[in-house]
Amino acid sequence: MLRKTVKAVVIALMVIAGAIQFIQPHRTNPPADPRASFEAVAKPAPAAAAVVHRACMDCHSHETNWPWYSKIAPVSWLVAKDVQDGRARLNLSEWNRYGPEMSGLRAGEMCEEARKGEMPLWQYTLFHPDARLSAGDISALCATAP
Amino acid sequence: MRAARVFLGAVAALALGALGCGRQAPQTVDAAKLKMFAPLPDVVPAKAGAPAEAQVTLGRMLYYEPRLSKGQDVSCNTCHNLTRYGVDGEPTSEGFKKQHGNRNSPTVYNAAAHFVQFWDGRAPDVEAQAKGPVMNPVEMAMPSEKAVAAVLKSMPEYVAAFQRAFPGEKDPVTLENAAKAIGAFERGLLTPARWDKFLKGDETALTPEEKAGFNTFVAAGCQACHAGTLLGGNLYQKIGTVKPYPDTSDEGRFQVTKSDADKMTFKVPSLRNVEKTGPYFHNGKIPTLDAAIVQMAEYQLGKQLSDAEVRSIGAFLKTLTGDIPAEYIKPPELPKSTAKTPKPDLAD
Repeated sequence: MLRKTVKAVVIALMVIAGAIQFIQPHRTNPPADPRASFEAVAKPAPAAAAVVHRACMDCHSHETNWPWYSKIAPVSWLVAKDVQDGRARLNLSEWNRYGPEMSGLRAGEMCEEARKGEMPLWQYTLFHPDARLSAGDISALCATAP
Repeated sequence: MRAARVFLGAVAALALGALGCGRQAPQTVDAAKLKMFAPLPDVVPAKAGAPAEAQVTLGRMLYYEPRLSKGQDVSCNTCHNLTRYGVDGEPTSEGFKKQHGNRNSPTVYNAAAHFVQFWDGRAPDVEAQAKGPVMNPVEMAMPSEKAVAAVLKSMPEYVAAFQRAFPGEKDPVTLENAAKAIGAFERGLLTPARWDKFLKGDETALTPEEKAGFNTFVAAGCQACHAGTLLGGNLYQKIGTVKPYPDTSDEGRFQVTKSDADKMTFKVPSLRNVEKTGPYFHNGKIPTLDAAIVQMAEYQLGKQLSDAEVRSIGAFLKTLTGDIPAEYIKPPELPKSTAKTPKPDLAD
């Protein structure tokens, strides 16, 4: 009886897992003009630019590197949501939209959140260990803040 | 016996704890988040420094001057009413022969501190901006700069005021100088609010509900665009960043740059006095602040806010309502028309 129940549950889960693959989130990289980017406009030092590329741009730019698991539901939903939120809150591909005050504030915020360990998100560094920031990385990033 | 004492002690502790929970805990605001904001300055200096008093005086007169319009019935103050927080409360304003433009008239208060002017940023500062409506055929509709100068030169008091404001200039009565003077006046149109007192360290300037509202505002992500001195006015953003905005009749900054990246992009408006400056958005189609909060969260952040969150953010936004500088905006007596002053012209 128990074996039958376990079997039914496993089959049901497999059906659900298969069915949810048809619900794919919006997962695109809109065109990005390199002249509009953080690197081109704010002109950070190479060390800071390297940190940003390594640890920030997957969620905070139009140059997301979508990993294989980002195509499998339900992880795909979570990743797509993080990227959507990330781009809405700070988009390194559209730095030319910021005036001088906002540009300074955003750079300061990047430094602050890295310093407090709020960014990158823990679930991101879990799968991207190279995105974990060292003290040197944080110093390089903070050097771009006014 | 001992067990009974322990039991009674535990009950007492729980009761005291419950009483403590019933009391409202002091609401705190993350100081790090406050770094994204700054209080208003006393005046917004131009590139050349603080505006000269004579320019401010002249600018105040010109701001209220309807004879700068072809029909002599529209002044800056018509659409940017200084006693109504610098707006007219209409979705779009009525200009020459009751024509309407397609964008909402933004408030002129604190406008000098914006990084660019107009919804699409086509003017770099308030001095450059002030020329626009005077010459716009659906706004004040003056036919030429020469016609503007002719109106002003017909009144000796204006000629003298221009000479005082622009000493040493051979021909100071020009549209260019009129706009400079209006800009000089606008640089003092600032509305410090309770929010500024709070930023300067007065913890009591905001109620616990308003502080909680700030936390809701930040948690929702509103400060991604509405930060800095004006909580906006310092960046462009696409309307519909997360969810496409349905009204695509106005493509915003694209009309200036013709760059696809600027389609549906507008200057982010300041939230100072937002409680008083509806209806909202570039098209003026959003009638209430609550609706504006809901739509911004939906289209810009991909969030469905609860009613409680909307109320909470609204409570914070109301702390941005500042004091209107009553003395500074007092309408001056305008020079009387002379025989040489052109008459109102309502012909097309």
